[in-house]
Amino acid sequence: MNKWIKIALRNILKNRRRSFVTLLAIAMGFAAVSLFQGYIHNTYQGLRQSAIRGEALGHLTIYKKGWIEKGKIDPDRYMFSQKEIQQIIDIVEGDDDVILATPQIHISGLVSNGHISTIFLAKGVKPNDDKTIKGAWAAFRPVKGDALSKKKPYGVEMAEDLAQHLNLKPGTDGVVMSTTLDGQMNALDIEVAGTYNTGSDATNDKYMRFPFAYAQSLYDTKKADRLVVLLDSWEKTERTYNRLLSTLSKAGFQCEIKTWNELSLFYSKVKGMFDMIFMFIFSIVFIIVVMSVVNTMGMAVLERTREIGTLRAFGLKRRGVSLLFAIEGTLLGFLGSILGLVLNIAVWAVIRALEPSYIPPGVSTPVPLIVNLVPQAMLTLMVFLILLSLVAAILPARRAARLNVVDALGHV
Amino acid sequence: MSLIEMRDIKKDYLMGETSVHALRGVDLSIDKGEFIAIWGPSGSGKTTLLNLIGAIDEPSSGQLFVEGQEVVQLSDNMRAELRNRAIGFIFQGFNLIPVLSALENVMLPLQIKGTSSSEARDNALSRLDEVGLSAFVHHRPDKLSGGQQQRVAIARALVTEPFLVIADEPTANLDSDTSRKIIGIMRDLNERKKTTFIFSTHDQRLLDKVERLIRLEDGKIVDGGGKK
Repeated sequence: MNKWIKIALRNILKNRRRSFVTLLAIAMGFAAVSLFQGYIHNTYQGLRQSAIRGEALGHLTIYKKGWIEKGKIDPDRYMFSQKEIQQIIDIVEGDDDVILATPQIHISGLVSNGHISTIFLAKGVKPNDDKTIKGAWAAFRPVKGDALSKKKPYGVEMAEDLAQHLNLKPGTDGVVMSTTLDGQMNALDIEVAGTYNTGSDATNDKYMRFPFAYAQSLYDTKKADRLVVLLDSWEKTERTYNRLLSTLSKAGFQCEIKTWNELSLFYSKVKGMFDMIFMFIFSIVFIIVVMSVVNTMGMAVLERTREIGTLRAFGLKRRGVSLLFAIEGTLLGFLGSILGLVLNIAVWAVIRALEPSYIPPGVSTPVPLIVNLVPQAMLTLMVFLILLSLVAAILPARRAARLNVVDALGHV
Repeated sequence: MSLIEMRDIKKDYLMGETSVHALRGVDLSIDKGEFIAIWGPSGSGKTTLLNLIGAIDEPSSGQLFVEGQEVVQLSDNMRAELRNRAIGFIFQGFNLIPVLSALENVMLPLQIKGTSSSEARDNALSRLDEVGLSAFVHHRPDKLSGGQQQRVAIARALVTEPFLVIADEPTANLDSDTSRKIIGIMRDLNERKKTTFIFSTHDQRLLDKVERLIRLEDGKIVDGGGKK
């Protein structure tokens, strides 16, 4: 085998210019795909953290069966009672992969500063549990003023644009109004304990966070509409989802569970868009690599027709000729990928050194452009490009193998 | 049993829509150790005849036996094995692999056969020594003269110790002095090792050295059987 690799390698080096152009095409393709893959890997990582920690969706959210479809029409019927909340928390927290399960209630209504009113959307959360879910993410989008606290049951966190719109600052008071689950109007005084940036233009002028009990009292209920579950790793989401669904069902609870990526519309849409762009870039690279290798190997077969005839005359079998050219194509893919890897790391280092940032659409603050180096993805891409080069070389290789020996020897 | 046995061999080519009769019924028998020249005017069928004997082409009709095996009956792979084991080729244009050194070119038929690298290397060095190229083993073809390249080609043709060497106009691209040396090497190997040589040529110096001349005209042997 070594001798054929040697011949293939020397033939690649013999046609330096042509080989270089092919290697460059493969390398550029590798670098383009790998860098974009590194970028979306970082983006997905950020969005995942943003959804699980930032939006405090946790990894799993448990609803009573029917809530998602009919909860808006008859909320009281599809909410968890106090007893159910405790029973479910006990079951869920008994799972080894679960860090915590916490009840939440999502509310909406009007918020007023005494002069003007506007709509709000809020979630009622248990302050300590919310802090646990946010974890280190809390430092990334800090609350100006005080965070939610048991000590101040009427203190709420308000999104910055909403607070600015109402001219409310930490420490100032306001009023929230809504209808209770029974349909009665209800109003409560609030104090803006702190303000925060949601990170999205679409929500920064609407969102609030209430202490769980205070949100319940606005709706005049002791119930919760969901339980948020935090796991020790996002990679366990699917497995735990299946396990909890089965465990809860066996315990007599008819529940629906949603994963964080199902609930985070932003994540799903961004992922869908990036996946599409990735496929687009990848398709272009795919075509360039195949065309380059087919062209290079086609030229090689044409130029070395007499050589093929000579090898066949000395007893090389058809599959040996195929192998020779297949090795050459594979080597092109391998060397191109190595060159691409070097190019990829060089661009990655430049990006790291320059630390550029940009403001994506719908986002209220600049985000740094970070490209991850993902060894597993790079290795997969390398193997794929090598196999692609091999497949692209097979066609010309088969043509070479099928050549009639006499015709090949007579080729000028 | 003859080494090569041809019975009423015909070979037709299709050139465009015209059928060309390259060989029109050739009967030929060649024994082991012969040193034979095939000669005749251009287009008489010399190369076609050599290609058939070398098992790189198939007759349109007739029977061709090499070492008692009917070549037409063999699969492509079996013919490749036969060529590798028993037949060596020397081409007019030398046909060395440009990316390989003289030594690597000579090793190639043995490596195709599956011989280990060390054994192939020893045999190739020995063959290159026989043709007087010990000092040039690491030279690539483009760094060798025409005569040196043809000597590498002879070493390559002989490295598997074939019983038959086929040479198509081996001296056509060489000057007189080099041609004489090449002819001398071939004749010497034929006499010492009893390797059968069959070649086509117009070179009178080569024709003077052979013990049997086969003259072809219009695809037929017109003077062939008799020894010189």
